[in-house]
Amino acid sequence: MTDARKTPEDQVLQHYREHSRDEPPAHLDAFILAAAHRETPAPKPNLWQRWVKACQKPRWQVAFASLVGVALMLALVQRTPEQVPGYDFAPAPKTSAPIAKKESAQLARSLAAPAGAMSAPEAAAPMADFAAPAQTESISAEMADEAKVSKPPVMAPAKFIDDQLREVIRLQKAGQPQAAADLMATLHKRFPKENLAARLKELQKN
Amino acid sequence: MSALEPSDESLLARYRAGDGPAFEILYARHRQGLYRFLLGLSGKPELAEEVYQDTWLSLIRSTSQPQGRANFRTWLYQIARNRLIDHWRKHGIHNPLHDSYDEQTHAVIDEATDPQLLLSLSRDSQRLEAALQNLPADQREVFLLRAHSDLDFPQIATLTETPLETVKSRLRYAQQKLRRLLAEEVLT
Repeated sequence: MTDARKTPEDQVLQHYREHSRDEPPAHLDAFILAAAHRETPAPKPNLWQRWVKACQKPRWQVAFASLVGVALMLALVQRTPEQVPGYDFAPAPKTSAPIAKKESAQLARSLAAPAGAMSAPEAAAPMADFAAPAQTESISAEMADEAKVSKPPVMAPAKFIDDQLREVIRLQKAGQPQAAADLMATLHKRFPKENLAARLKELQKN
Repeated sequence: MSALEPSDESLLARYRAGDGPAFEILYARHRQGLYRFLLGLSGKPELAEEVYQDTWLSLIRSTSQPQGRANFRTWLYQIARNRLIDHWRKHGIHNPLHDSYDEQTHAVIDEATDPQLLLSLSRDSQRLEAALQNLPADQREVFLLRAHSDLDFPQIATLTETPLETVKSRLRYAQQKLRRLLAEEVLT
């Protein structure tokens, strides 16, 4: 309509625009603006305010607490070391008999080299002090026998002694007194401070 | 509206977000045009004021926004038009906008093409209003929308649910008739 070549019709339109005098009454303006002011929506909170508000609601508190609980449990489960039966953290005592040192060296070699490979050099021996007992499953039966003498048993001593004493009783009952006596002697040698005779009698009563 | 001024849609969004002064700007932009449109279409100041108030209160209380291709202006006038039609329906008044008017039949050949005569159109507001009320309602509606809402033809066609060419012909006939009526007023 701003075109310079206005048609006569467009001039009528312009004529009406220019000469219309009607205005909404002032009281209507005031009423509408007051209504708009009164009913202005509350400003929307920003993201942080909404987050804080949500955290204050009980249902969200429960949800967040549950989430944190699950996260803690998962963290604990993943950080707990794997339970190894009979794991002995203490290094072998330095004052052990030379045979124990030898056994440890053999153990280290067996761990360092694959089955059938050449033995590891003697330099690997010191490592044996900290070798993990969990891997003793790979040790041969012969080495296990040596360990009975030179190294504390993997089992708890009381239980181990009881088991051995039951074996003594079984051998006696089986008519093998010599074998029973040998085993008893071995036990005395290994556990000199234990009152093995009293414990044996107690087990025989049971 | 310059490029620096916020659009109607952004002002409405700001008001919905809690910015009260944004509504005042929006209201100032459209108060006059909407009122003149309703007054011209209804022909009764009391009815125009009632519908005008209802329209703005509806907008204030609504949470909706202009949908689809409609801009704020089209949306506002659509609300006002629907409110007026609702009022007519509620009071058992025949809706003149639904009359099927044959523009060709009612067209009057306009012979007043003298430019001097065009400059002498009546400026008396009562005569302007009387000439306007002399128009068929559907022509009057298109003329008022074009004069006061500043909507373009496609927007008027959408708002009135009328084919674009029909809108154009209604406006043309309305303008011809008004020119003739106002010129006659001057000559007599």
